[in-house]
Parts: sequence; C-alpha cells; structure tokens
Amino acid sequence: MTRLSRIAGPLLVPVLAWICYIFLMAPSLVVIPISFGGGGDLHFPPKTWSLELYREFFTQPAWWGTLLRSLVIALCVTVMTTLLVVPAAYALQRARMPGGRILTALAMGPLLVPVIVLALGLYLELAPFGMLNHTLTVVLAHTMLATPFMMTSVGASLRHLDRSYEQVSLIMGASKVRIFFRVVLPQLKSGIAAGALFAFLISLDEVIVAYFITGPDTETLPVKMYSALRWEISPIIAAVSTLLTLVSLLLAVAMMRLERKERSQ
Amino acid sequence: MTAETPYLNRLSGLVLLAPMTILLAIFFLYPLGKTLWQSVNDSGFTLRAYADLTTSTLFFKVLKTTFVISFTATLVSLLIGFPVALHLSRKTPRARVPYLIMVMLPFWTSILVKSFALTVLLGYDGVINSFLGWLFGTAVHVPMVFNRVGAIIGMINYLLPFMILSILSSLLAQDANLGRAAEVMGASRFTIFRRITLPLAMPGVIAGVLINITLSIGMYITPALLGGRKDMMVANLIDFYTRQTLDWPLASAIAVVLLVISGVLVAGLGRVQGMGQAREVAQ
Repeated sequence: MTRLSRIAGPLLVPVLAWICYIFLMAPSLVVIPISFGGGGDLHFPPKTWSLELYREFFTQPAWWGTLLRSLVIALCVTVMTTLLVVPAAYALQRARMPGGRILTALAMGPLLVPVIVLALGLYLELAPFGMLNHTLTVVLAHTMLATPFMMTSVGASLRHLDRSYEQVSLIMGASKVRIFFRVVLPQLKSGIAAGALFAFLISLDEVIVAYFITGPDTETLPVKMYSALRWEISPIIAAVSTLLTLVSLLLAVAMMRLERKERSQ
Repeated sequence: MTAETPYLNRLSGLVLLAPMTILLAIFFLYPLGKTLWQSVNDSGFTLRAYADLTTSTLFFKVLKTTFVISFTATLVSLLIGFPVALHLSRKTPRARVPYLIMVMLPFWTSILVKSFALTVLLGYDGVINSFLGWLFGTAVHVPMVFNRVGAIIGMINYLLPFMILSILSSLLAQDANLGRAAEVMGASRFTIFRRITLPLAMPGVIAGVLINITLSIGMYITPALLGGRKDMMVANLIDFYTRQTLDWPLASAIAVVLLVISGVLVAGLGRVQGMGQAREVAQ
C-alpha cells in the first residue's frame, strides 16, 4: 500500500459521508437565514436583516388564511386517521375475518401506488359530481394517504401487546369495550402518537392530490406555495418555508422521543 | 394457538373494520377503477387512448426522459449513499443518533421547501455560483437548475434517505466477527470490504435501488420546479393531458402505464425483502 492510500483510506468514508450530510441538510436549513433578509431580495447570506417577510405573510389573508386552512385540514386528517385505522388494526389482529389479509394489503395500498395516479383518479371521480373544491374531500383523500402509516405504526405496537392482559381482564368480568379503552388503548399510545404525527405531516405537506382536487376557495398552503413557485418566486416563500421547516423539525424531534420511549419500555 | 377461538367475533370485527374499508373503497379503490375505466371509455368502449399512446412521439420522449432521470438519480444516490451507510454502521447506536437526524431531516422537510431552497442554492446568482465566482475571481454562472441537472439533484436529495436507511439495515445485520476474523487472517481493509461487506449488503442495496426507482418514476414536483421544459416526466404529462388538453382517456391510459410499471417494481421489491410490508403488518 502506498503512503497516500494509507493516509487517505481511513479518511475516505468520513469525508464522503460529511459531504453527503451537508448536501442532505443544506436545503432544509438555508431557508431560515434567507427568510430574515429584507424584502425584495433572496440572498444567502442576506445583506440586511429584518422580519419584513413575516410581516408580509401575516398581513396577507391569501397567505395566512391558507396556512390556517392547511392546519385545520391536517388536524382533521389526524383525528380521522386515528378513528378509522386504530379500530381496524385491532380487529385485524384479534378477529379472524375472511379476507383479513386482503384488507391488510389494501390498507398499505396508498403507499404503493404513485400519488399522481391517485390524484388523477380522485379528480376523475369527483369532477362529475361537482365535488371538486371542497375541504371535506381533501380531508378524506389525505386520510386515505395517511392510512398505511397509521396501520404500520399501530400494527407494530399491537404485535408487542401481550394477549394475556385482555384474557385476564375478560376473566375478571370486564366488557370487551371497556378492555379496549382501559387496557389496550393505553398500551398503544406511542404507536398511535407516531401514526398521528405522520398523518399530520403528510396532510400538511401534501401537494399533488390537493393541487388536483382543490379550487380557489379551498387551496391549501402547499398548493398556494406550488403555484407561487411556478409562476412568480415571491420572497414570502422563504418565510413560509421556514415556518414549515420548524413544524417538521418539531414533529421529527417528537418522533425521536417517542421511539426512544418505545425502546426503553 | 390455531384452534383457539378468536378474541373478537365476526360481528365486532365487521363493525371495527367497516369505516376504514368504506373510506378505502371510495377514496382509493374507486379512483383507481375510475382511471382504468376512463382509459378505455370515451363515450363508449374504445382503445383509442392506448392506440394514440403507441404512436405518440411525445409520450415515448417523456417515458425515456423519466427513465433516464430516475436511473441516473438512483445510481448517484447509491454511489453517495453507500459511504454514508458505511459511516453510520461504524458508529455505536448512541453516537449514531445525531447523524441519523441529519439523514432524516430532508425526509421530514416539505418537498416544496427543498425545491425552493435548491433554486436559491443552485441558481444563476445562487450560493454555489457565487462561491465559485469568489474562488476563481470571476463571474461564474454554471447552469445547475431549471434543467436536467437540477431535476436530478433535487431527486437525489429526496431519494437519499431511503437509500441510506435501506443499505444501513443490511450493514447492521452483518456479524462484525466476520470482518474481525478476516482481519486476523491478514486481509486488507479493501479486501474485507470487497469480499465480505459488499456481498452481504446486497439485499439492502437492491431494495434501496428498487425503492428509489419506484419513488422517482412517479415524481411530479421536482421535475416541475427544478427541471426545464425538456425534463417533463410521466407524472407531469398526466397533469398536462388532464388539465391543459382535457383529454381524460389519454391521461388515464398514461396513468395505467405508470401504475403497471410501478406495480412490477413493487412486486420485485416484495420478493427482495422476502415479504412485503403489508404481510409484515398482518403477522
């Protein structure tokens, strides 16, 4: 081995890895300093510092209104996904249903089909009924997209759940409904929380389906951002991006804490 | 265990499963069926849309672009993802956490935010060009965005976390003693890598490649925001026929083709992993 390769060999992997880490992180983080630049220019690092872009964002109803709408939709999606998927996941584990395997595969389906195909299908489905441009359909479509994630995380918690707790409670005379709420649900908490975080973020960041099935009255924040990025790069986008990145960071940290808690149990 | 009567009877099972099943029927199965139906129906059954596709130069051009961009992005993310997975696998679980956060950050960031940031970083007067200009003392304007390079860079940024985590899982599953044994026997670092680490990482590599191709052939946002006019991909073509020319049968036929291609890839992925994610949940 030559001297050069003896020195460079052990360094090769860390150096390559660090270049990659920077490439991975830079796009998420560079928007933060840009958003505090003066209005008008999009520079990194900014020439002047100000909160101008945030002031513009929060004084224009077209922007903060869509943010509010997106947050409400994401919240509804989180609740809907939890209410629909948690009971279903439980039934798939504890009842022997004909076609149970097919149903499990079906619940994973939205993850396996390209989103553009679903967006087109939903558009074709809703257009003849005049159901485009409704907030409710966006909530339900996003719930569909979030289903596989909730299914996976709750399914994982359920597999670790000891059946004997339910059997013992049953022998002690508790009803199955009571057992579900008092014995099963508390043990699924972190699985449900992880699924809920996923559902919230998927809805908040989802562009394509919302772009196909919303109209001017129901536009979500990502749709508004997408149009703004396509037609005129407005500096306000830097402020919006920073807000979204902060939400993502918060949720990512919450997710990490959940995983650590899960492991320590 | 098999003879045991299930804890919940069929009626309760039905009640608990019904809401999710109805939602998936209306918002997942029906749209898919509607797309299929629309692709062969234009006021009456017709294969016109598929016939049009076979003669459409635009469709084949877009299909070729899609494959070129997807394969290039996948290959590059494999080449730069592997060292990262290797770097991560050599850390203790505790020391790995901050690095994993760096890998997962783009996974949690909105694709719109990343696309916007990349236009700022790679743009005409962007951060990279300014830096190069400062380095060489002259104005540098390397075109890196709103062209194929931009679309591929944006895609790699999106795909890398999936590739890294896939390879990492098969690296971590390896028995560290194999490497140690080889070292004792006098094998060089490079030989250990070539003869032990790499072959044992292959399942993760293949899974990562399949995940990346599956994700990238359906990409819509990245080519639209970071690519140029000539970098339209299949998803953008579907949008174009749906909303610009209002040719719904043609848009549906393209969607069916995309669905079949990604179905084949997903089936391949299921075989590589031994069992699909769906089966994992069932157990």
